[in-house]
Amino acid sequence: MLRHRRSPSNNMKVPQEYYDEIFEFRGQWDMPSACGLKIREVEGLTYVIVTEMYQENPGTSVTYAGRSLAEQICEAKGLKLSDIIYLECTPDTNSKLSFYDEEYFRVDFSGERPAYTQMSADELHRILSHKAS
Amino acid sequence: MDTIKLKLIYPKWQKLRGQTTFNLPPHGPVAFAATLPEYVDVSFTDENVEEINFDEPCDLVALSMMLSTQVKRGWEIADEYHRRGKLVMAGGISSMLHAEDMVKHVDSLFLGESEGRMEQVMQDFVRGELKKVYNYMGQMPPIEDVGPCRRDLYKRDLYNHKGVPMVDLFHASRGCRFSCYPCAVSYLGGRKFRPRPIDKVVEDMAGIDNNRLFIVDNSLAQNKDWERELFKAIAPLKKKWISHTIEDDPEILDLAAKAGAWYVYQAVYDTSDYIKERVKRYHDNGIGVEGTILLGLDNQTEDDIKRLIDFLGEIDLDLAEFTVMTPFPHTKGYDDLLRQGRIFDFDWNHYNAGQVVFQPKHMSPERLQELYDYAWASFYKDESQEAKMFNLFCQVALREMEEGTYRPRDRRLINKSFGRIVDRHKRNVNQ
Repeated sequence: MLRHRRSPSNNMKVPQEYYDEIFEFRGQWDMPSACGLKIREVEGLTYVIVTEMYQENPGTSVTYAGRSLAEQICEAKGLKLSDIIYLECTPDTNSKLSFYDEEYFRVDFSGERPAYTQMSADELHRILSHKAS
Repeated sequence: MDTIKLKLIYPKWQKLRGQTTFNLPPHGPVAFAATLPEYVDVSFTDENVEEINFDEPCDLVALSMMLSTQVKRGWEIADEYHRRGKLVMAGGISSMLHAEDMVKHVDSLFLGESEGRMEQVMQDFVRGELKKVYNYMGQMPPIEDVGPCRRDLYKRDLYNHKGVPMVDLFHASRGCRFSCYPCAVSYLGGRKFRPRPIDKVVEDMAGIDNNRLFIVDNSLAQNKDWERELFKAIAPLKKKWISHTIEDDPEILDLAAKAGAWYVYQAVYDTSDYIKERVKRYHDNGIGVEGTILLGLDNQTEDDIKRLIDFLGEIDLDLAEFTVMTPFPHTKGYDDLLRQGRIFDFDWNHYNAGQVVFQPKHMSPERLQELYDYAWASFYKDESQEAKMFNLFCQVALREMEEGTYRPRDRRLINKSFGRIVDRHKRNVNQ
């Protein structure tokens, strides 16, 4: 797990370790929106990890954007939605505010509504330890 | 340009059981009305204080909604006007939060802030080309364009309780730089704090024929320099006002008190000495405190909630308002609980912050509901909410008398509460 020392600040900046690039996307009602993005190849599987940027995201959250965001990433990166493992990350922002701890969820878009499964730290560490593709 | 007759409606919602009824003059509709071109003749009905006359002649209907609990009533109103062949628009905070649902029920949905945009909308209407969606999300108009609200549309006698007028709502800024867990303001108004120019604020505030205001900005504690200038500038107006949090700084608190701070809404989220001292610092400056206590967060066990309720007795709050965690769309709370599959109720009528619509982490929904009811009963067991409000009212009345701004009760309305005849000796509580 990425762990950061808590500071008294509440500026909630998302540490850069969480992403390789900022991905700009069209959020709900085309609101200009942004998320952190990492893509990893692990054992023949493509992991797409989107990170909520809070104050640095001017629009829709990654969770609310859901499938639309996943499709926009796939289109931009030449991926197929059915071929990727899609993970949502809420990062630890060093905030003194509660409820802003690090969490990862695997999202399955095959049903009518997205289905979420929280990932274990071990699984996640294995993915993140691989270099960017 | 021929006159357009626009019927502007603020739908009613079910008030929370057991709480004191107060109907404040709503801010959204009159802020919207101020952005309409001059050739639009507006007739306003706040359904919380009067019935809608669906037969009143009009060319176009506009629904202005703030709360999630207004949304479904808004759809019913739209249906009724559709049966009469009228076109219906919708806008406002809850139209934005529930836009995907709302767009199915109205002819035109306005998303975003309306300053500088309504001329185009009205022109489209005249041409018979009203768009299904006017989407200005994320495109904030210059904050300088925010002008005085159309408060002339209020029927003032309907916002009066036994001769005492309700406070007028006022905004000195928009947007919020914080991302608080249960709040959607940064989604709606932008993640950047957008203060109005001080001279505009003063001009606007001075023009309100009411000495008591509620500055509804999400938090005034966002820019200390602006706060300092704001309080210095409005002090000569001698208004008395309620607000959300003020900067915890001796100089700012002193300036706020001199500028007429009456009481503030302050979140009480733990039992720390910091909270105790924070409340004391307001009181030391003559500013009252209404504690806002959110119950059902993931870090609260039953014991934590009971301790928090007991703690309120130690910190000398003037009033307390309890809410249960409610996952409003476009909040982090919504995202988290949705991912965890813990939201079991998506009926927006139940999103009133008094009804549990999700599975709490440490107790059953029913137990959280009981604790919510217990919190209200416990805090007000020795002195009713209405009596505590009366104490705050007396404090402000005394200050106004000292400053020569006090206006006696309107004797005409002494037996009326929000337009209805009442027994003035009976308590004003929702059944």
